[in-house]
Amino acid sequence: MDELRLTDWLRQASGQPHLVIRQRWLLAGGAIQQNWALDVSWPGGEAAWVLRTDSAAVLDVSLPRAAEYALLRVAFAAGVTVPEPLFLCEDLSVTGAPFFVMRRVAGITAGHRLVKSDTAGGGRHALVRRLGEELARIHAIRPPRPELPFLGAPPEDAGLAFIAASRAALDRQREPRPVLEWGLRHLELTAPAPLPAVLCHNDFRTGNLMVTEAGLTAVLDWEFAAWGDPHADLGWLCAPCWRFGNFLREAGGIGDRAELYAAYEAASGTRAEPARVRWWELAATIRWALIAIDQAERHISGTERSLELALTGHLVPGLEWEVLDMVEAANA
Amino acid sequence: MLEKPDAGDLLATARSLLLHALLPALPEALQFQARMIANAMGIAERASEAAAAPEIAPGLAAGIRAGLHDPGSATHAATAQALRALTRARCAVSAPRSLQAPQG
Repeated sequence: MDELRLTDWLRQASGQPHLVIRQRWLLAGGAIQQNWALDVSWPGGEAAWVLRTDSAAVLDVSLPRAAEYALLRVAFAAGVTVPEPLFLCEDLSVTGAPFFVMRRVAGITAGHRLVKSDTAGGGRHALVRRLGEELARIHAIRPPRPELPFLGAPPEDAGLAFIAASRAALDRQREPRPVLEWGLRHLELTAPAPLPAVLCHNDFRTGNLMVTEAGLTAVLDWEFAAWGDPHADLGWLCAPCWRFGNFLREAGGIGDRAELYAAYEAASGTRAEPARVRWWELAATIRWALIAIDQAERHISGTERSLELALTGHLVPGLEWEVLDMVEAANA
Repeated sequence: MLEKPDAGDLLATARSLLLHALLPALPEALQFQARMIANAMGIAERASEAAAAPEIAPGLAAGIRAGLHDPGSATHAATAQALRALTRARCAVSAPRSLQAPQG
């Protein structure tokens, strides 16, 4: 990254003609994106920012930086706890890729550590309630929103749209996946009637939450956001694959499902329908399996040789086992 | 005849050395990668010793999608069993812990 060009651009964007970058380092995480911490200062002021840009691997299903920036602005305005988005750069001559700058917030993102801690995020009860409230704020964002044209028209039936998209994804694979077909057929036979669409984050799980001991500091990674059924986010959060071994704490490995639902209902004024959440929980497990298959395929095809991507493929059998468990439980 | 020890033994022995001798001495920034390597070696070890997973019957996936094995059909229970057997064999190599996990 050419720091002089970047400095020039940040000076213009921020309106601080004497801004300098004091320190810049790469933050952990992000198979898809790169996050750079920037410490900047100018005469009489300083700031802690994050520059977010693309790394080599870009999944087809994730939104480009400009769209993610627009989503952050809408979410920030709706009171969702996100880092305040500051500047967007789509000029490739600055760093070689589109990027945006947001305020840096304190905290860690580590799903496996978070589910083991009784104190992180203000404690399990406070954190679970907070997650319900955050989801309620996200779901209060409803179409149409002219600032979010890239989301397209809301689906008439988000559940059936999920099934169709998943089957199309399976049809692109080199191997048949009968267990995922089994799960999708169950979803098709038990699909609930559609609800009016809301904004879904679509990757709302502990690994994408930034927390301190005091509480939640940010909901991150908006690149999968789309119009859909609000229960999709509740199901994704509650799916067994995101409990990191803490299976009995059904709300993301953190706390009780009932407490999550109660906080969600109090904040949103709408009911969290348990059967509908279960439907989306199975959908979540299938969706994660399809993403894992795609990630492994990047390694297998040679697009991006990576042990992490290779191992992600070996998560698929465990997810298929969960699919069979869920279908069996629902048919019992 | 290939020389002993075989692939599974070599992988298990090398993995143990990695986990018990190298990992504790590595800086924290490299521990995640060392664990990934150990994980990969464990999968390869189990794969080298596993019997082949049951074959997927041709047309099974398409048949499930078309509703041929829905609840209430004559083939539903047998299909569910076959999928369990297939997935159990796949998990035994890729993710043996998922076979022990309590039901969510």
